Amino acid sequence: MRVLVVEDDKDLSRQLAEALRDSGYAVDVANDGEDGHFLGDTEPYDAVVLDLGLPTIDGISILQKWRADGKTFPVLILTARDQWSEKVSGFDAGADDYLTKPFHTEELLARLRALMRRAAGHSTDTIEIGGLTVDNRSARAFVDGMPIKLTSHEFRLLSYMAVHVGRVISRTELVEHIYDQDFDRDSNTIEVFVGRLRKKIGTERIETVRGLGYRLLDPALSKDKVKAIEDQTK
Amino acid sequence: MKTKPNNPAAETGRSASLVGRLVRGAVLWALPLLALTAFALVWLYRESTYQIFDEPLISTVTSLISSAETIPQDSGETIIALSKEPLDPRYQRALSGRYWQVITDEAQITSRSLYGEEIDFSADERAKLLGNPGAQISGSSPGPDGESLRFVARSVILPDIQRPVIMVAAMDESPAKRAINRFAVLAISVLAALTLGLIAAVTLQVRLGLRPLFDLRDRVASVREGSATKVEGDYPREIAPLAGELNSLIAHNRDVVERAKTHVSNLAHALKTPLAVLTNEADKAKTDLGEIVGRQTRTMTSQVEHHLARARAAARAQTIGTRSDVTESITAMVRTMARIYGQKDLDITQNLDPEIWFRGEKADLDEIAGNLLDNACKWAKASVKVTVSAGVEAGFASMIVEDDGPGVRPENYAKALQRGERLDEATPGTGFGLSIVDDLVRAYKGEVALGRSAMGGLKVTLTIPSAPPPEDSL
Repeated sequence: MRVLVVEDDKDLSRQLAEALRDSGYAVDVANDGEDGHFLGDTEPYDAVVLDLGLPTIDGISILQKWRADGKTFPVLILTARDQWSEKVSGFDAGADDYLTKPFHTEELLARLRALMRRAAGHSTDTIEIGGLTVDNRSARAFVDGMPIKLTSHEFRLLSYMAVHVGRVISRTELVEHIYDQDFDRDSNTIEVFVGRLRKKIGTERIETVRGLGYRLLDPALSKDKVKAIEDQTK
Repeated sequence: MKTKPNNPAAETGRSASLVGRLVRGAVLWALPLLALTAFALVWLYRESTYQIFDEPLISTVTSLISSAETIPQDSGETIIALSKEPLDPRYQRALSGRYWQVITDEAQITSRSLYGEEIDFSADERAKLLGNPGAQISGSSPGPDGESLRFVARSVILPDIQRPVIMVAAMDESPAKRAINRFAVLAISVLAALTLGLIAAVTLQVRLGLRPLFDLRDRVASVREGSATKVEGDYPREIAPLAGELNSLIAHNRDVVERAKTHVSNLAHALKTPLAVLTNEADKAKTDLGEIVGRQTRTMTSQVEHHLARARAAARAQTIGTRSDVTESITAMVRTMARIYGQKDLDITQNLDPEIWFRGEKADLDEIAGNLLDNACKWAKASVKVTVSAGVEAGFASMIVEDDGPGVRPENYAKALQRGERLDEATPGTGFGLSIVDDLVRAYKGEVALGRSAMGGLKVTLTIPSAPPPEDSL
């Protein structure tokens, strides 16, 4: 899962990026409105943390532009403005949640998880797929109740595939969602990560769909259901 | 609806009233003038009355002079005799009220009517007559019958007599006195009535003349009450600049408050980001330093919140003439709640009267509605209802927000309104929501009442100051 943080305070954005990376997300940071808008416009984020008082373009305008351009990623507004009239304009601009400063990192993480969960249509932070458990809260995974050791990249890969279980995901999409902007992207490394993941969670769980990408399989899902999901995502 | 303006000047009494001053001023010059007029009129009437009254007396004196004859006696004396007495029969009848008298040094001749008495002169009058032969005086003197006499006396020099002779004619002056008194009473009562009429007219005139001023006062009051945003209307040349200045003042006041508010809120908000950084850093560091920083940061945060709230309250007390659309605010809040509580699928019923506006700042109304609805939505199982209607008391509206959640036990009502009190620690929230609502509503002299809703949950009833919608919005 990849998150964009748009916040002009360098210390705060660094803190947020650290906390988010620790929780298993790929994180990009923008320190002004123009950069923030550009990144959100060009990269496929799974969630955005957006400050309102930004240099160059203010947060509300950025959000309105994104929504006008059809961007649907969940946006959490993080601002010092705590008046309801300000919250209304935030939500009206297309925000999905609103958190006021000062805040506790834990609360921000919980809200972001909730937003991404909602966007993916899950009701809990823990995704259970036939004996495989992905806990997005603690950034850990279990097979039949036994914890498995995963690097942060491996967890991001697994988490993204788990959120979109049953759907074929292209290498490019995986690259976009598990690496942050500064990472030297090489789609071949995806193959390496998938290979390592298969060893840890069981080869049969990840299917390679030739020419299209990968798919995390849920043994409980019938072929028809998988088909339905495919149709839906087309 | 129009409420009576609470006018401090009217309470301090007439001493501060402009109408009173002007009317008193008019009375101050009109009263002496009218008194003087009365005096002059009575005096003139008296003079002319006596002038007419004196005419027959003068003619009697003249006839006495023309009929006086000097008869030299052998003894060398000269006596005076009248060749012909005045004709009027009243001179013959005793104490008839008409008399005449001829006075010489030695003797005097009197009309029969005097009945042996004399017409009294003061020594002064006598000396004056004797000193100026040919002089004529008139005056009053007591008569033989106890009446007051009007007399005319003239001194003449007759041939062969050294000393002047005084001829006097007198008449009872009571008819003249009665006429003068009657006139005086009439004149004074007419003038008194005139005075009263004048005062009434002046009062009316002043009131009419000052009407634009009273009108201006009412307009200013309506600005203060929030039913108008500026002083409107056409005013006479003299006070039109005042109305203009008032409008500039109102606009300036709004600007200053707005600027001050912006400054304070910018400052407070600018502090929040560093506070957020410190809070997070302190959370992360499990050391003593982290603990101290965390504690101090919390203190600083609550200080910032406190002063931000105070600045808002101070700004609120100074703004005049603001009112905000209740329907618009609540609709926006309900829209926002639907996004915040999207997954709960709540049914929010709105029962709003579009004719009711809130007399106060929109931001405060948003804060009240937002916190109430947020609280209701947080606890509701499936439905929330918000009702806005005219209040029992004029100038106030009632806003009711209720839900079908677990509600609050009556013994906890007071606690629910306290700052930072959370009745359920398990549900996220600051515990400030209802206390913020309570603070705000109190700041607007309104009331908050908690109760049990027919829907099962908490019912919060607010009484808030209301105003009619501004004219241009209709």
